[in-house]
Amino acid sequence: MLSQTTFGPTDAEIDRVVAIGFPAWLEEQFAKPQALHRDYIDRRTAEIEPLGFAAVQNDFLETFFAQAVAGEDQLRQRMTFALSQIFVVSLADNTLGEMPRGVAAYLDMLGQHAFGNFRDLLEAVSLHPVMGIYLSSLRNQKESATRVPDQNYAREVMQLFSIGLYELNPDGTRRTDSSGNPIETYGSADIAGLSRVFTGWSWYAGPAPGDRTRDRFFGISAHPDRDWQPMQSYSGAVADADFHSTSEKRFLGVVISEQQAADPEASLRMALDTLFDHPNVGPFIGKQLIQRLVTSNPSPAYVGRVAAAFAGNASGVRGDLRSVLRAILLDPEARAAPPVGGAFGKLREPVLRLTNFLRAFDARSISSRFNGIDNTDDPATALSQTALRAPSVFNFFRPFYAPPRTSIADAGLVAPEMQIVHEISVAGYLNYMRNWIARDDHPDLRLSYSAEIALAPDAGSLVDRMALLLMTGPMSPSLRNILVASVEDRAIPAAVLDAAGNVVNASDRDAAARDRVRIAIYLTMASPEYLVQR
Amino acid sequence: MKRPPDDLRFSAARRHFLRTSALVSGAAGTMGVPFALNLAALAPAHAQAGDYKAIVCLFLNGGNDATNMVLPTDAASWAAYAAARSNGPDPIALLPPGTAADTGARPGTPSALGGVLPIMPRFAAAPVNAGRPFALHPAMAEAADLFQAGRLAVVANVGPLIEPLTRDEWMAGTRRVPSKLYSHNDQAATWQALHPDAGAGWGGRLADLMMSVNGQARFSCMSVSGNAVFGAGQSVQPYQVEKAGAIAVQGLNGPLFGSSLASSNLHTIITAGSDHLLMQEHAAVVKRSIDAQVEFQAAFEASTVPSPSPYWSPANRLTQPSDLALRLETIARVIGAHAALGTRRQVFFVSITGFDTHDHQNAVHSDLMAKLSHGLAYFDSAIAATGLRDSVTLFTASDFGRALSSNGDGTDHGWGAHHFVLGGADVRGGEIFGRFPEIGVEHTASIDSNALLPALSIDQLGATIGRWFGAGDTDLDLVFPNLRNFSSRDLGFMA
Repeated sequence: MLSQTTFGPTDAEIDRVVAIGFPAWLEEQFAKPQALHRDYIDRRTAEIEPLGFAAVQNDFLETFFAQAVAGEDQLRQRMTFALSQIFVVSLADNTLGEMPRGVAAYLDMLGQHAFGNFRDLLEAVSLHPVMGIYLSSLRNQKESATRVPDQNYAREVMQLFSIGLYELNPDGTRRTDSSGNPIETYGSADIAGLSRVFTGWSWYAGPAPGDRTRDRFFGISAHPDRDWQPMQSYSGAVADADFHSTSEKRFLGVVISEQQAADPEASLRMALDTLFDHPNVGPFIGKQLIQRLVTSNPSPAYVGRVAAAFAGNASGVRGDLRSVLRAILLDPEARAAPPVGGAFGKLREPVLRLTNFLRAFDARSISSRFNGIDNTDDPATALSQTALRAPSVFNFFRPFYAPPRTSIADAGLVAPEMQIVHEISVAGYLNYMRNWIARDDHPDLRLSYSAEIALAPDAGSLVDRMALLLMTGPMSPSLRNILVASVEDRAIPAAVLDAAGNVVNASDRDAAARDRVRIAIYLTMASPEYLVQR
Repeated sequence: MKRPPDDLRFSAARRHFLRTSALVSGAAGTMGVPFALNLAALAPAHAQAGDYKAIVCLFLNGGNDATNMVLPTDAASWAAYAAARSNGPDPIALLPPGTAADTGARPGTPSALGGVLPIMPRFAAAPVNAGRPFALHPAMAEAADLFQAGRLAVVANVGPLIEPLTRDEWMAGTRRVPSKLYSHNDQAATWQALHPDAGAGWGGRLADLMMSVNGQARFSCMSVSGNAVFGAGQSVQPYQVEKAGAIAVQGLNGPLFGSSLASSNLHTIITAGSDHLLMQEHAAVVKRSIDAQVEFQAAFEASTVPSPSPYWSPANRLTQPSDLALRLETIARVIGAHAALGTRRQVFFVSITGFDTHDHQNAVHSDLMAKLSHGLAYFDSAIAATGLRDSVTLFTASDFGRALSSNGDGTDHGWGAHHFVLGGADVRGGEIFGRFPEIGVEHTASIDSNALLPALSIDQLGATIGRWFGAGDTDLDLVFPNLRNFSSRDLGFMA
């Protein structure tokens, strides 16, 4: 269960769940305070700006790993990471790549709403300047004789962030028409209509309406907090800054009437209310959250239970994400002992494998910055994945991806994470983790294997600890046997005593014990049983 | 988007097709995945001893703005083009041929780029546009040279189609049209596999047909850009390589952390079969990775071509390495290793990203056009170095074209687009195939928000290449399920 709810189990979290039980642990996690990534970037900037440097992407990755590895609000962070793969922005984008503070603030924003209401989340995403840049709604202008509003955000907010392409039943299965065909949720006329809503929004300019000048709309005379403050509307408070479309806006069966005076806030409210109230949102978003946290192929009944939680919490409030998370994580399907075969579970994302390792073995940062992990994009030498560096708004992998020509596809199932699994990436991952496990000279990070070294003489206990810390449940007997045999093959030489009774070969014995630990960790993390989180 | 009436979405033609497919395969195809029979069993031995042919799909992720890549420069077209793209804070209308570059202008802007580069089509093999003047993006000098040298052809206004479609028919909704138009992932999948949900792409299907002539079937289809449905066939699984070739799993040869048993057990563990589908398929990939690496790497390392020079980007006026050219170098090296690898028919996939130019189009697109032009010229020279220029055909593909109208500093999703085909003697270069559409916001090929209604289908483009590759008519109808709906089965750009 901690594989589903954290960046990896630790002794402390395991003890806590055992002590208070999983439901209480969830409630405890809901109450943990959030630390802001933006604060870290600001502190870094204060340190390095006098030296003539600015914060860069690696500073963002430092704070990401510092919180993922050492933060206490693990459930919020794991949920935030899941949300970052639905509401995707990416440092791989040229412009965002130069905005580590903005991207840090975007992740903070997802975290602030991770246990909140989906309607608020949808609005915060829609107005965040980093999203505005990524999907080009920032600086988007009303139509003219030769210009149409940019449709990028209007399209993706429907396709990816709220309702999806096809009408869904409450259990996430597709509705069909009388001929058995799926029913599309929207067409290009809906996109054109909705695109007018997302006109007239641009950089935060300051608290007074008069701050919103034409120049600031276009990015000139920047406000210092514009990379994280919500976008503002530019609708004529200043004479030549009137960029919101006043024409009629039709989409998804609703009509925003022509406006005498531009009212972008009213347009936005009606648009987001319409999306939020669409019956698809619960099953569409709920299923993806299940996929990010628990299993790639939830049963329709499981999706239905989560969608029902979305539709109304105990007080009947729609969109309560705490209620959704409880439904996902306390569901019998999530909590049942996983079967040996079948397809339950999900391939662990490469970034989560790394954090799993770092947390299990108590990685400490010498500088306290968690410096030096950096970008892990390269499939040949690293992980094919870096947090907040998806190649496009379609994330690292699509929710419906099924690897062609496999038993998974033949069974009508999906395996999203398999989209980044190929001959290069599997070798790259193994070599990358082997390097982490082999080295003890990382410039900034120190792993602690003291508990494992103490168990090294007892191969069975050492391997059982791998099952506890790295795998979700018990290892299969066959894997356990092969691991125990592998560990035992690295013999620990018997102690040789000198005349005074001192051990003279302590360093050889220590090296052997360390090798045993490395064999146990590496073979566990290489095994398909580990790689599939169940 | 206008949707056709439901009865047409499962029309008589489609029912007939499914019926015939079912007769052949013994199993009804599902919609859009209309054949389930094993194509490899039909493999014709078209390949003669000693010959070699390769298809390279160069995919431009994000939807390339082909309107700014290939341009008609007649007065009427130019006036309409300039009107549609000259507005907004950052106009994206390129400048007419002969305009001098303004080195003082902001990098990447039309003024800084100078005028578009005229090209002189031969109008021999493809006279349909005879008399109309054309040009390429100002950053594509190498591509213009390749065009004039007869090794680069343009295919005009091609895109996904199920059957021929006029603007009136589109408006009336009386014809079948591809699903999920304008959606990135769906249209990228449609370009590669002719349907958004297909499990096999037409590159992989062509490789299915030909894999029996390869000594090493596992190298029939290769990607240097990750998983893409284009290269997945019915039997063929695309094999991934990267700059260094294949990657070996360390620790399999020799002791692992002091234990030989741990090393041999590592192999057992990571390749073990399982009753669990996800574990099973992950282990299968690892097994392929290990097995193929041994066979692949020595042949690859022995095959070299001259490395690419850096390219000059008009966006920052710097000379820098090109990820595209480096990936193309890997493909050229694999092609050079074909004898050692025992391959005679291969399909390759390479992609570059960044083409979704909703904004900042001037800087982003000029950089991409320069990179693409440089990459095409580099690949042409690298393949020449292997002695196989006449045996390798590269074509560009992309999610979709983009709308004509500027949204202020960029363009939105469209449909049809112009594409390049690059090769040797077998490619009829220096020609523009297909009728080049008018430019403007209201004409026979302009729909929705000024998207281009394609005149030619991917099925026709692919079948033209597939025929060259060695596929017969029966095979082509299986690989390209919509081909029979079009009168022309061969667009003529392959000799």
